[in-house]
Amino acid sequence: MQDRLTFKEILQDLAKAQASGEGKPLVGWTCTYLPVEILEAAGLQPYRILPEPSSEKADGYLDPNMCPLVKTNLGKAITGGYSFLSGIIILNTCDGMRRLYDAWRFYCPSPFSFLLDVPKTVTSLSVSYFKERLKELATQVEKHFKVEITTDSLNQAIEEANLTRSLSRRLISLQGRGAPPVKHSELLDLLSLGSRTPRSVFNKALEKMVRVLEGEPAGVSNAYRLLLTGSSLDGSALVRLIEELGGEVTISDICPGTRFVDYVEPSADPLFSLSHAYLHKTACARMFDSESRISALKESLLKSKAQGVVYFSLKFCDPFLYEAPFLEEALRELDIPVLFLEGEYTGRVGGGVRTRVQAFLEMLEKNGK
Amino acid sequence: MENERGREKLIKWAVKSPLTYRLLRPVLDLLTRKNDNEPFKIWVRFLLDAMNNSYARKQPVVWMSAFTPSEIAYGMGYVPFMPEIIASVVTYLGKSKGPIALANAYASSDLCSFHRCALGLVMEDYLPKPDLIISSSYLCEGANKFFHYLASYYRCPHLMVDAPYRGGSAAKKYVADQLKELVDKSSRLLGLVPDMSVMSQALELSNKARAYIAEINRLRRSRPSPFPGSEGLSYLAGMVFYSLGSKWGVDFFKTLHLSLEQKVAKGEGYLPEEKYRLLWLHHIRPYYKNEIFKILEEKKAAVSFEETNYLYWPALEPSKPYESLADKIISNIWAGSLERRVHAIEEMVEEYDIDGVIHFSHWGCRQSCGGAAVVGDVLKQKGLPYIVLPGDGADPDNFSPGQTRTRLEALIEMLG
Repeated sequence: MQDRLTFKEILQDLAKAQASGEGKPLVGWTCTYLPVEILEAAGLQPYRILPEPSSEKADGYLDPNMCPLVKTNLGKAITGGYSFLSGIIILNTCDGMRRLYDAWRFYCPSPFSFLLDVPKTVTSLSVSYFKERLKELATQVEKHFKVEITTDSLNQAIEEANLTRSLSRRLISLQGRGAPPVKHSELLDLLSLGSRTPRSVFNKALEKMVRVLEGEPAGVSNAYRLLLTGSSLDGSALVRLIEELGGEVTISDICPGTRFVDYVEPSADPLFSLSHAYLHKTACARMFDSESRISALKESLLKSKAQGVVYFSLKFCDPFLYEAPFLEEALRELDIPVLFLEGEYTGRVGGGVRTRVQAFLEMLEKNGK
Repeated sequence: MENERGREKLIKWAVKSPLTYRLLRPVLDLLTRKNDNEPFKIWVRFLLDAMNNSYARKQPVVWMSAFTPSEIAYGMGYVPFMPEIIASVVTYLGKSKGPIALANAYASSDLCSFHRCALGLVMEDYLPKPDLIISSSYLCEGANKFFHYLASYYRCPHLMVDAPYRGGSAAKKYVADQLKELVDKSSRLLGLVPDMSVMSQALELSNKARAYIAEINRLRRSRPSPFPGSEGLSYLAGMVFYSLGSKWGVDFFKTLHLSLEQKVAKGEGYLPEEKYRLLWLHHIRPYYKNEIFKILEEKKAAVSFEETNYLYWPALEPSKPYESLADKIISNIWAGSLERRVHAIEEMVEEYDIDGVIHFSHWGCRQSCGGAAVVGDVLKQKGLPYIVLPGDGADPDNFSPGQTRTRLEALIEMLG
């Protein structure tokens, strides 16, 4: 009971800190391939653009067959929901994000807009090219916000972000060791909030929480262990449903959430370090090489002893929809059952999804998985 | 049942036999001897030749995505095979429903129907197996994954050119270095020694075709419109995607240029009467039987030009193939920010004296349709009538004739 209260308190503390933003200009960003350290080194506060699923959808401004997250982002922006941002950085993640960048600038221009070009391959050529693009971003930020980004300030930002990453990984590792002291739904809420919170506040909260939870004994859980992967989720509603129905997400590879960089090496060339680390992080389906993503997932499956996989894709999300048959085939070889769900960005799970999750868990039970 | 299976087997054998295409050539020549559409006849011969080469497998068969410069394949002595273009031909022949239905069991029906059609054909084993797949990452997010999946299906290597969002020297170097790497890697994989003089020749052939394309586009500014947009969106676009770098390309564009020159000199339009001039946005149109162009003809509205045929790339430098092709890739108006495409559209509106614009919205396409509202608002601010026409390029089941007619009639009403 005490743990739950502590957890809630920490979330509330974070929420308060988020509202203040430490007085720094807030800069919105959309994709985990952005090295937010560049913004932090410039004295800016990165703010992940994650609209509430209840926000208005920009149906009249984008085609009906566009990603619902993109439409919700634009809807919120057009209705003034992001007017507090001093700038936006959108990444060349996919067709949807590129068109979001165009429409955002056309319908509700932000004081500062930048599109960061992220390569789709991980090679020495792409690492050098990405570094050039990061340099361009740093130059534009310096110019617009009249700030200076130095090697020292970048390395300091990298160190602080490394602390967040290491604490987050420790927190994640506490899942699935029996009765979970951290539920995955809570973890997702926390990480999502963290992406909009001043780093120093978030690190303090994480430290406190990890300290409390690591001191707890491992419990026993009879829940079905699942790996959750896919595109952006519309909040934690799906994970909460899985937990309610007797499942437990012991590991996930989703955005927003756990698909972040593990470690960035501080160095004399921090932009190169950032380029290298961010391109080598756990890949999103937008990257060329599906095999490395799938092999990382297989490794996670073995490590977490997950009994099944839930694959979620937002509707019209091409990278994840096209990759679905790949993953299904790979998991079939491992005899791992997969539940594929396609959904809108509503923050709710309908009766249909409830029935399918229920049936999936029943199937795991029947198969003695 | 037994008979049906036997028939299917026979059809598949015929489709996959190079002999079929060699026999079809004289037959079609005979059947179309009275047809004076010489460019169309060259397109058909080109396709038959491409199919013959792809199934005969005397040279490596390399599958390519539509926006990957075909000059690379011709310059390397490969046989390019473009499944997205083949899917449009299959649709034109009225045969896309079966493969799409088959693919729907594996892929979401919200994905591009050209990819689903091609996937169905792959699963039915109608297509020539690739020795290598080459694609490029720009424009269409789905194409990357689609081609990667095909490479995994056929267990063949897949090389991709990662096209950057912006131009500039770093971007050009990034692409040129990748192209060099691609040439080296593909040669190693296929056991060939690249002959750069062949690559230079391919670029020279591409330049010759490009010069004709520039002239064709200039002639198409004439009033009345000398060339039908429906054909600009089919075989003309097909040749731009598939033939550049080959002799076929030069022959086709030269012949089309000559034909248009004669029509323009005689003041001949493709419609009996032309009242309105329209611009078609998007690279495709529905290729199955539909009444879009008939309705427009009834209303005396000519599709005078299509953005897909906009000449966006500079002439290539045969002595610098990597840098030149990098320039071609990064100058693509549909890649990068929408401003570049919007400027090109504004230029087309002016040059072709356009009265109204149709943006075809192909279900499953995000890259082009995602910008349809912004493009429309820019054009409407200039007082230009504009409609988005929802539909599907390859799936006839995802097409609404009634809604299409209503929208087209609304456009004509706006034109007054």
